Formats: sequence, C-alpha cells, structure tokens
Amino acid sequence: DKIIRIWGKEGDKWVCKSILAEGHQRTIRSVGWSPCGNYLASASFDATTNIWSRKEGEFECIASLEGHENEVKAVSWAPTGLLLATCSRDKSVWIWEVTEDEEYECASVISSHTQDVKYAVWHPTREMLASCSYDNTIKLFKEEIDDWTCCNTLESHTSTVWKISFDQTGHRIVSCSDDKTLKIWQEYLPGNPEGIDTIGKESAWKCVCTLSGYHNRVIYDVDWSHSNGLIVSACGDECIRVFREEEISDKNQPSFSLVCTQNRAHSQDVNSVAWNPKEPGLLASGSDDGDVKLWEVVLD
Amino acid sequence: MASNFSGALQLTDLNDFITPSQECVKPVKIDRKPGKVAKIRIEDDGSYMEVAESGEEKKLQKAQITLNDCLACSGCITSAESVLITQQSQEELYNVLQENLRLQQASEVDKKKLVVVSISPQSRASLATKYQLSPQEAHHKLTGFFKKLGVHHVFDTSFSRNFSLLESCREFVRRYYESETNKTALPMLASSCPGWICYAEKTHGSYILPYISSTKSPQQIMGSLVKDYFAAKQGQTPDLIYHVTVMPCYDKKLEASRQDFYSDLYRTRDVDCVITTGEVEKMLEKENVTLGQVEGNTAYCVLSGFGSPDGGLGSHLGGGSGGYLEHVMRYAVSQIHGSSVDSLQYKTLRNQDFQEVTVEIEGKRPLKMALAYGFRNIQNIVQKIKRGKMTYDFVEIMACPSGCANGGGQIRPMEGQTNNELLQRVKESYDSVPCVQPDLWPGVKDIYEEWLGGVDTEKARAMLHTQYHGVEKVASALNIQW
Repeated sequence: DKIIRIWGKEGDKWVCKSILAEGHQRTIRSVGWSPCGNYLASASFDATTNIWSRKEGEFECIASLEGHENEVKAVSWAPTGLLLATCSRDKSVWIWEVTEDEEYECASVISSHTQDVKYAVWHPTREMLASCSYDNTIKLFKEEIDDWTCCNTLESHTSTVWKISFDQTGHRIVSCSDDKTLKIWQEYLPGNPEGIDTIGKESAWKCVCTLSGYHNRVIYDVDWSHSNGLIVSACGDECIRVFREEEISDKNQPSFSLVCTQNRAHSQDVNSVAWNPKEPGLLASGSDDGDVKLWEVVLD
Repeated sequence: MASNFSGALQLTDLNDFITPSQECVKPVKIDRKPGKVAKIRIEDDGSYMEVAESGEEKKLQKAQITLNDCLACSGCITSAESVLITQQSQEELYNVLQENLRLQQASEVDKKKLVVVSISPQSRASLATKYQLSPQEAHHKLTGFFKKLGVHHVFDTSFSRNFSLLESCREFVRRYYESETNKTALPMLASSCPGWICYAEKTHGSYILPYISSTKSPQQIMGSLVKDYFAAKQGQTPDLIYHVTVMPCYDKKLEASRQDFYSDLYRTRDVDCVITTGEVEKMLEKENVTLGQVEGNTAYCVLSGFGSPDGGLGSHLGGGSGGYLEHVMRYAVSQIHGSSVDSLQYKTLRNQDFQEVTVEIEGKRPLKMALAYGFRNIQNIVQKIKRGKMTYDFVEIMACPSGCANGGGQIRPMEGQTNNELLQRVKESYDSVPCVQPDLWPGVKDIYEEWLGGVDTEKARAMLHTQYHGVEKVASALNIQW
C-alpha cells in the first residue's frame, strides 16, 4: 500500500506510532533501521530508496537515492552507519556513502549478478557485503584499492536464493531458496586447519549443511538470531519454522534440527521473519495476508 | 550474448522478463499535430488509414525502423546490438574493398569508393603496446597495412581532436559569460563520449541535455572533414567515400550511426563504419601478420596526425581521453583572467576516476572543474546537478573507468598480464608522443579559413557542433509496471 508504519510498544500493546505515506510511488519492498536508530531507509519498486530521519519523534524524508534502473528489492545499512547497499531487478548492487553533510553519494555500482538481485546485507562486523539473486548464487563483495569487487561466489542452490543471514560471528551464513532448502555456509580463512584451499588472502566459503525436506514451498525469508543462535524461516506453505544447531555439532558438518513448526502461522504466504535483536525468542512475521504477527519461541 | 558496450550503456538496456514476442513500438508513425483529432482505421490489408473529423481519409506511412530507432528506444527487446556489430565490423570493410576490386576489374572505376581509415591515438597506443612498437612505428605500419589491403588514405583523429578541443574551449568561455543570465549555461559537460551521451539521452533526458557541450567528438569532426573538406579536395561526392574509424570502444559505433551525422542530401554517413582496436587485431591475424612484420608507409597528409615541429606525431596534454579539462581550464584562465597556468594540480576525490582542479582568479570566484570517469561518478555528477548542488563549471565525463585508453574495444591483456599492467603500458605509449597546442598544430588554422571561412562562422557551427535528443519512454502493454 506504499505506506510505512512504525509500531511501538505501549504497556502491553503494540500500537502504530507513525505512518509515513507519500514517500514512494509503488510498493515498498524493504525497510531498514540505521545502526544508531535515528534513520530509516525504505527501498521501493519505484526505483528509489528514501532515507527518513527521526526528529522529535516525527519522521522526515531527508534524501532520495536514485539511479537504479527499476525495482529496488532491498536496502541494508553497514554496521558503521556510513555505508548503505541497495540491490535491484536491474541485476546490480549499489553502494552508497553517507558524507559529512548528510549527503548520500554513489560509491560503486557492482554488476556481478546475472539476474534480479533479491537481497543484500552487510557483514555484522566487517565492511563486507553479501547479496543473493534469481541467478541462484550468493556473492560477497569487498572494497579493493579503488572499487568494490566480488571476492566470492557461493553456488549450490538450484533456484532463486531469496534471503541470506549472517550468524553472530560473521563466519557463517544461512540462505533460503525457491528450491525449498536452507543451506549453511562456513567460512574457511587462509591457512585453515581443515586444509580447504583458499586463493591469496581471500577466505573460501563452503556449503556445510543443507536442510531439505522440511519446507513444502519456496522459503522467502530466513533469520539467524545473534542472541541465541536459532534460525527461523518463512515459507510459502504458510508455516514458520525454527531450527537449532545440535549440542554435538561438527563445525565442518553441522547438524541442525527442527525445534518447532507453526502451521498456518498466516492464512497466506509468510514473506518475512525477523528475530528481535534485544529479546531472545521474540520474533515478528509478515505475510501476504496483510498481517504482522509477533511470536514467542519457548524452548524446553 | 555478452555485451561489449560501456557499463553506463549496459545498465540502461535491461528488461529481463520481456519475451521475444514483444511488438515493436513503432509499427506506424503518426505525426503529432497539436489540436487535430482523427480516427485510425485498420484496413484489411493491414495498412492504417487516418480518418479526419471532416471524413477525409489519408493513408498513413509505415514507419521505417532503422537500427538507430531500435537502439534508442527504451522499450524494445535489445539484441539490436548484435545486428549493429555485424553491420559495422571489419567484415564490412573487407566487403567494400572486395567490391572496389571487382569494380576495378569490371572497368566500372567511377563506381569505386574512396576508402579512408581514421585511426584514434588510443587504438594506436593499444596496438603499439601489443606489438611492442613505438607509436610512430605503429602509425607507419598501420598505414602500410591498410594501404596494402586497398585503403586509399590513412588519417589520425588526433588532427580532428584539435578542432574539438578548440571549439570546446571557446564554447566554455561563451557559456561562462552567459551563466549570469542563463541557468543552464554551466556546468558544461563534455560531449565526446557516446556512452555518456546515450545514457544521458535515455535516462535523464531534457533536464541534463542543455548542460552538454554542443561540440562534436574528434571522430565526428573527422567525419565532417573527410566527407566535406576532403571530398571537395578530391573532387569526390561524399557517398563515394567510405570512411572507417578505428576506435577503442563499441559505443563509438552507436555514435557513428546517429541521425545527426547522416547527410540526407548525399544519403551517406559522416562515418560509415567503426571498427575497434580488437577488430584490427583480428584483421592482422586473418592476414597472418604481426604489425611488426608489416612494411611501414610514411606518406604524409595534413590529416594524418603529424603535428610535431619535427614532422612526427603530435599529442596533447591531459591524458588519454582527449584532455578536455586541461585545455578548457587553461583557455578559460587565459581569456577570463589574461594569465596562463604552468601546470594544473589535480586533486583525487573519492576514487581515481574522480578528480578536481581549482584555479583562483583574482577578483572573481575560482574556476572549478572535474574529471568524472565511470558510471558511479557520472551518477554523482548527474544527481548533484538534479539537486542544484553542482559546484563545478566544467566536467569531463567519460563512461569508462580510467578513460578511453581502457575502452571496451581495446586489445585484451595477455596470459599472466593484469588489466592494470596493460593499461599502464598503453597510457605510457600514449603519453610518449610530444604535445602540441591545438591552435599551433600545422593545418588547423589553414583549414578553419579554407574550409569554414574562419572561426565561429555558420559553417563552423554546422560542421563542428551537434545537438541531443531526449528519448521518451514509450508506454506499451508490455512496459506496464506491475
């Protein structure tokens, strides 16, 4: 509906605190809070990404990032808050820098993917970007000398990779795909004890676990909790599932087990799930049915 | 198919879900006359009849769709580039030379075409580096090579570049003074890069076009020189001259096929065919020679690029993309302030392809100019202009990172050689040719007088300047945004 809603907890209830309308001309596909929490970025099918600033509780659109040729699919803030990444159906990933006078300038246009780029996210601690695409790959990007380049391509999924999520350490990634699997990827640094080949100073990434048979339809979203390590997935079969790594798990061949499934979490496709960064076990889900639901995961 | 065009052009041509069955947006061209309302009736034979209010019927002309329309249209399926590449390639040159041979043998000599090849100094530097020759040697050997194949004259776009530089300088100063009353006079944006021009026309249209310099690129000025000045001198009509240029990129092929560079009168283009440096390399391979083995030809012609006082090749200040900033700044300072600058201090901003130069002018605000190469830097320039935050008076914009020396049509690195290493060698080769000031280059002043009747004449404007056209996004059923 081209509107952004900001929700806050008042006592026991969640209320809609602000409505940001007239910012975009088409669907808003992705929103992201800046690390400091004072800014919100919104990425839209109208090919622009807006930056909203919170002043005295009111949000004001302070910048509009233009340049993508068509629908912007995602926006992500780097942990420093000084870089942003956007990705689009135009197959490119753009990196933006926030200047001293709060201007947003294009720092790089990376055309590595061969199809629609669905999502881009920054590494939790390093200045490294990960993106995934309709071309079935995940790509990692770093700044080298003068420009950003693709340093790794992770191939294993057999269909569109919709979302990726780093674990708390940043050495592992979980990805979800149209091929109905979740995959866990492990980083191997140069000189690793396992003897995995690396090129120069670059790490190698290997798919060390595939969770298949759990999901009945395309998996649209996945999030790896940075507080308790649980992985939650959002699926086109209307279910939300939570996975946990087993106590005895080999780093090079980890085992994950399904902790619980919420059947009929929504009445339509579950498009989006995210863990609350502060409250472990609290997660939010969004769906084609127009609802946002909050869930509590209680482990025995 | 892998696209060889510059990054800026590749990014503006994407519509991955459009199926091959999309209809062309121009089946019938309707002249839009404001105020007239008419009905269109489709006849049984598929032709279109315009029925005016008065009942008067007129059969509508079917639109001719040229290659250019396909490339300029923002709604169609693309892949017109594969047609373009076959239409403008070394194969075409071979075809023309073969045809000449056949006509010669059939004694139909007056139908023969005069074949002229104009080589760009960037292509020459790339070939010189590959075959380990000096630019001078490469020039002579390329002349020898082409002449042996049947080409009649070999020229150098270094010569026509002088005109491009001089016109840009004069245009800038004129716009500088105009800027007090005209908001779109400054910043002036360089116009010699077709990757930039096509991107600007397609994506930004009318709000950015007024800022672009009207001066033609060295390639197109050479086109005018060959098809007008040289044609007259040779007593040949322009349609009987086949003009080929050798360029460092594929975007130049698009430039040559622009409608503005086509003569309706003689039904001929100013530049008939653009071949890239890589395509010349293929020609050498086809003939089974390395450039070093070719016998050099030292024939002299004022259009051949021998600008140095010692009769050797000449070059210019300011790097491998033409040196526009360097020349415009120096000229502007000399005209506005009456002083000359020894050397310009370039300050690198966010990356190597974005640099600025500031020159203080006593009594006036400083002159600020910038180099912006590559798509990401072009983005920032365009956005700054859009938001009214532009601080530069002139920007030398090029679509390729590192400029023309790094064009998409240049010779690729060898095994074990990185692109950067090769680029450095090519730049060194390019810079090794001595610099000559454009207005002191032998022949430039004479040709201004003889051909154009002086500087700033009507003919000079017609021959040395051009215009730009924004491309409207045509709404068709398949273009609808869901």
